[in-house]
Amino acid sequence: MGATTILFLAALGSYLASTVIYGLSLRVRRVHTAKTATRVFLAAFVLHGLFMVSTAFLRGRPPLLTAHDTASFFAWTVAGVFLLFQVRTKTRVLGAFVSPLVLLLLLLAAPGTRGETVIAQNLKGPLVLAHVILSVAGEALFALASLAGAVYLLQDNLIKRRIRSPFIRYFPSLGDLDRINAACLLGGFPLLTAGLIAGSLWARVAWGDAWPLDSKLVWTLMAWLVYAFLLHQRLALGWGGRRAALYSVAAFAFLLASFFVEKALFTTIHRFS
Amino acid sequence: MGLLLVGMNHKTAPLEVRERLSLSCREDVSPLGLLKGIPSVREALYLATCNRVEILAVAADVEEARGELVDLILTHGNLPREELERCLYVHRDETAVRHLFRVAASLDSLIVGEPQILGQVKDAYRDAVDGGTTGLILNRLLHHAFRTAKRVRSETGIAGHAVSVGYAAVETAKKIFGGLRKKAVLVVGAGEMSELTARHLLKNGAERVLVANRTYARALDLARELGGEALALERLPEALMEVDIVISSTGAPGYVITREMVAGALRRRRNRLLFLIDIAVPRDIDPEAGELDNVFLYNMDDLQDVADENMRMRREEAQRAEGIVAEETERFMEWLKTLAVVPTIVALREKVEAIVAGEMERLAVRFKGMSEEDRETLEILVNSIVNKILHDPMTALKEESQEGGGQAYAAALRRLFRL
Repeated sequence: MGATTILFLAALGSYLASTVIYGLSLRVRRVHTAKTATRVFLAAFVLHGLFMVSTAFLRGRPPLLTAHDTASFFAWTVAGVFLLFQVRTKTRVLGAFVSPLVLLLLLLAAPGTRGETVIAQNLKGPLVLAHVILSVAGEALFALASLAGAVYLLQDNLIKRRIRSPFIRYFPSLGDLDRINAACLLGGFPLLTAGLIAGSLWARVAWGDAWPLDSKLVWTLMAWLVYAFLLHQRLALGWGGRRAALYSVAAFAFLLASFFVEKALFTTIHRFS
Repeated sequence: MGLLLVGMNHKTAPLEVRERLSLSCREDVSPLGLLKGIPSVREALYLATCNRVEILAVAADVEEARGELVDLILTHGNLPREELERCLYVHRDETAVRHLFRVAASLDSLIVGEPQILGQVKDAYRDAVDGGTTGLILNRLLHHAFRTAKRVRSETGIAGHAVSVGYAAVETAKKIFGGLRKKAVLVVGAGEMSELTARHLLKNGAERVLVANRTYARALDLARELGGEALALERLPEALMEVDIVISSTGAPGYVITREMVAGALRRRRNRLLFLIDIAVPRDIDPEAGELDNVFLYNMDDLQDVADENMRMRREEAQRAEGIVAEETERFMEWLKTLAVVPTIVALREKVEAIVAGEMERLAVRFKGMSEEDRETLEILVNSIVNKILHDPMTALKEESQEGGGQAYAAALRRLFRL
């Protein structure tokens, strides 16, 4: 086993451990336990980062270009942004939802992290890298926005219906969840936009004027429009709270659906393996 | 040698008795000085708070010390013996340790989980250290008590639950807004309860207060007291657009804040969250207003529910805390029991070492022909034989002492080795 594989397994194991401890904290509804879980999660995040650095240097390829690599990078971004929010907000408990998501993504990524992959010649270059990094980071932020939104809806319901549940104390406050939701939308949108621009610049170089109206491109553009609408409502009309949370969950569901529907039903030129 | 704790608390003694004892103790001579004068007391600590007066002592003879401590309290507190005996509790050794740990962890408090007691125990300990009345055992015991209290605090939620209606409101507000910084509060109707709740909110970070009342003069009064602004009741709809938290407690027969009023304000609030607290009977706020998006409406019963639920959880947490206290008590007692055999172990070791040194010296003439290196090897050999022979009995002695049978073994060793 090489160093890279060991790092990957260590990261995977740590994410598994943090997921289990978060699960336990959900069960005992104790923020104290979630604190421990967050420390383990931070360790997993660092190992995961080292794994990607190691892939880049020891295996000599950017850890970004295959579907598996993308899943791993997506997971890493979600984890990192979540941890970043821990500096300013008291939302550790959100980890109980973030951690299993990251673990699942990394498990999906696992088969592709060992072998050597051949990368098409025209995919080498800074534009493709920028396209992948920016769009995946943007989508990771959207994922986190929707998670915060989902927990917001749960907590909103508990407080509003005055349900006597220890989960009210355990879940983060509505204010913090709304702030995370807004910040993720605000950060994710420009990233995705820049990612799409980088992608189209590359396409113009690689495919020339002839790049067709592809299904993948159409779906992506539609998702982009949905988020543009949501951001506009938030900034211009002051959407916030429950409705914003609801829509951010719906928007991400649309993004996910478009990804899978497109994969299952349509052929696309946006496939490189 | 044993531990002894004599004292009274809010459960065993009425306030007047506690008062008299703690006051007279503080005014006259320092109680620590008096404790020092008792011959059988080796180490002592004196703890007095508004809910308890306690003396913790390490005594050569526990029974003797008990009599002397009670006498001291009697003469000092100027109380009839009969009354005092009824109020006092006496704990020895393990129960004394457990009692101290429970006190430090706030399990023995009037309001279980209140945070001040730990600081008071720390102060009492500092006084005892300054007064020179602590020694090996109390130092270790008190530090163990602080550690136990810290464990209880961090591992259980014993102190984390609001148990009054006012604090339940603050707690709910925090779960809605995150923090209360920069939040504005509107008080409708200048009652005592709403004033109290507003004060809680201000103390927890809320920044602005508006007071609306039917009689404007009363609104002005309360606004001045709370450091806020007064406004006429007619301007209520406008105020609803600005503030984050509303506390309503007027004596009005109908709804003062209607659903339409809130719905109208919401449009101008750009979806900022609104927390309505209705503590009036009959109610001031239309319950339907609570159905609106981003509006949270709690009445008196709801807040009482939150407080009750918290009280229940606090009791549950206290159960867990008792477990921690039991664990730590056991740990301390293990140490205390090994302490009893330490002199025996030290004496045995010293005796054997003296024998080795004596023999080496006696035979020094014979070693003259040996090289320095050989002599060192010989010394190492002798020492390691001695250590290996002593190792098992010493370990066994420590183990026995942890299980409580140390005294007999120590006595046997002393007799066998003539220590």
